[in-house]
Amino acid sequence: MRRRVVIGGILAGAAVIVVGWEAGEVTPPSHQALSSPAGHTGADGSSATGSSATRSAGSSPADTAQSASGAYRDGTYTGSTISTRFGNVQVRVQVSGGDIAAVTPLRLTDRDRRSVMISQHAAPLLQQEALAAQSASVDAISGATYTSEGYRQSLQAALDQAQ
Amino acid sequence: METSTLQRPVPARRPVSEWRLQIGHRRRLARADLLGVAAWVSAGMAIALWLAAAPVRLASPGDVITAAGIAAGMIGTDLILVMIVLAARIPVIERTIGHDAAMTVHGSLGKPALYLLLAHAGLLVVGYAATDGSSWLAETISLLTVSDVLLATLGLLGIAAVVITSIVAVRALLPYEAWYLIHLGSYVAVWIALPHQLSMGGMLAQGSWQRVYWLALYVGGFGAIVWFRFAVPLVRSIRHRVVVERVQQVAPGVVSLWLRGRNLNELQARGGQFFIWRFWSGSTWWHGHPLSLSAAPTPTHARVTVRALGHGSRRLASLRRGTRVSFAGPYGIFSDQARSRSRIAVAASGIGVTPIRAFLENLDAAPGAVTILLRARSERETYLWDEILAWARDTGAACYTSVGRRGAGSAAWLSATDEARGVSAATIWPDLAASDLYVCGPAGWADCVEADARRAGLHPEQLHRERFDW
Repeated sequence: MRRRVVIGGILAGAAVIVVGWEAGEVTPPSHQALSSPAGHTGADGSSATGSSATRSAGSSPADTAQSASGAYRDGTYTGSTISTRFGNVQVRVQVSGGDIAAVTPLRLTDRDRRSVMISQHAAPLLQQEALAAQSASVDAISGATYTSEGYRQSLQAALDQAQ
Repeated sequence: METSTLQRPVPARRPVSEWRLQIGHRRRLARADLLGVAAWVSAGMAIALWLAAAPVRLASPGDVITAAGIAAGMIGTDLILVMIVLAARIPVIERTIGHDAAMTVHGSLGKPALYLLLAHAGLLVVGYAATDGSSWLAETISLLTVSDVLLATLGLLGIAAVVITSIVAVRALLPYEAWYLIHLGSYVAVWIALPHQLSMGGMLAQGSWQRVYWLALYVGGFGAIVWFRFAVPLVRSIRHRVVVERVQQVAPGVVSLWLRGRNLNELQARGGQFFIWRFWSGSTWWHGHPLSLSAAPTPTHARVTVRALGHGSRRLASLRRGTRVSFAGPYGIFSDQARSRSRIAVAASGIGVTPIRAFLENLDAAPGAVTILLRARSERETYLWDEILAWARDTGAACYTSVGRRGAGSAAWLSATDEARGVSAATIWPDLAASDLYVCGPAGWADCVEADARRAGLHPEQLHRERFDW
């Protein structure tokens, strides 16, 4: 009897797990899924101040990498809101003397407490990268891939206004 | 006194057939299997919740460790909830696997659950630290600054305290009351772990079916505890108004308590079952006594027989007439409800005779189908034997006795002299392979009976044991 319970239990439990697995599609261990948030760009940009966010998902950060120092118009620009599955991301960029002087996150992935922790950890690193690159070409912070991608896209949208 | 005579059952009907007994038995075992499978499925569900909520990232070692940590936490918490359900004395569980088996499973899940939850905490610190590129210490501190995580950590310490105090060696050092209070604390521990489950990961996000399911588990488990362990006993105690009617000395250190109440038949207690009694006198009210009925209950009366084993049970001898009694029960499947065969073998030792005495009284068996063995270390321990011998005489059951120091061989559960004569389970119960065996007595002795009976061809399903090491 006991063995029947264990075998039946394992099979039934496994079946439930498989259904759960199917319900939440599993990302392969790569960054392919990261281009998906771009699809939401603009649609969610309620607070985006005039950002058009016309950039397609395929646009590479390298396109903007050429913008050297002094390439931007001075001012403060707010990027579009990028929605990710861990929450929305929106940044504001401040340009002075043609350079990116500061990137202020208005909102970072915050859907749960762990996401908040990750955002707090990633925000200074991402700003450092942006200041060093003087563009939106930031590398993803490990453990904060969704936040980094949202950050990159929102920053790009802001810089597009500054062109 | 009139109330001390119990009505002897008149075997008016034909004894229940072997076929019906076997069908009933199979149904019960199938129900038990279903409950077991349900427990496994609940663990599967815990994992499925998490898998369904988010694509699991396994891109780096940190991700893998984090995923393992989340899985450990989900299964560990699910096991805790299963333990709560097992301890809730839910009637269907009590009737299907019995109180003792439910509590045995409950106890056996404690350590695995604790290890999983400790692993959950450890793995997440390591996993998060790996992805954040910070040290374990820094990660621990940053996690503990989240108030929900701090609460959950306190809950984990509480669970650890419960498990440690329940380890046999430690529990022996603690008074029952201390152990019980720490155990009550585990309810708090499980609740304060809930906020971090809802807020930390996104898997139990507001409005998700996962959150509804998980909260339903919590509410269901704790609701069952409140309802079946507290509300139902309270209502029954008030409704049936049980009081002590008489305290009767049976032997030195052994007393029978005659209890009077109203409509006790509504409780549908069977001989062999037990209640947890609380006697509301100044020195006894704070202690619940799990005591078997020592006679089949009538609508107005019940009897329990108790040997002074601890301080609490010693005080029961001095209870006054009219003392109010509250109770929880009936519990246990050491009754005719668990039968699988028409033939019955019975072994009772010492004070373990009490549930046997009540069980026999409710038994619906053909003359000659019951064979009883009564065991005592000395003539002074032959409690209630006169009643059992009278019952055997009236119903045509065979009843053997074995008195004296126990032997040392394979039938060491008998007296040395009987064992030397070659008596064993196989000679006392020649039809053991086709019988149910009901055993009640000290644990070590009962183990001996069980081993001897297994050698004589008894299938484990046909064995019915009542724990008596309270």
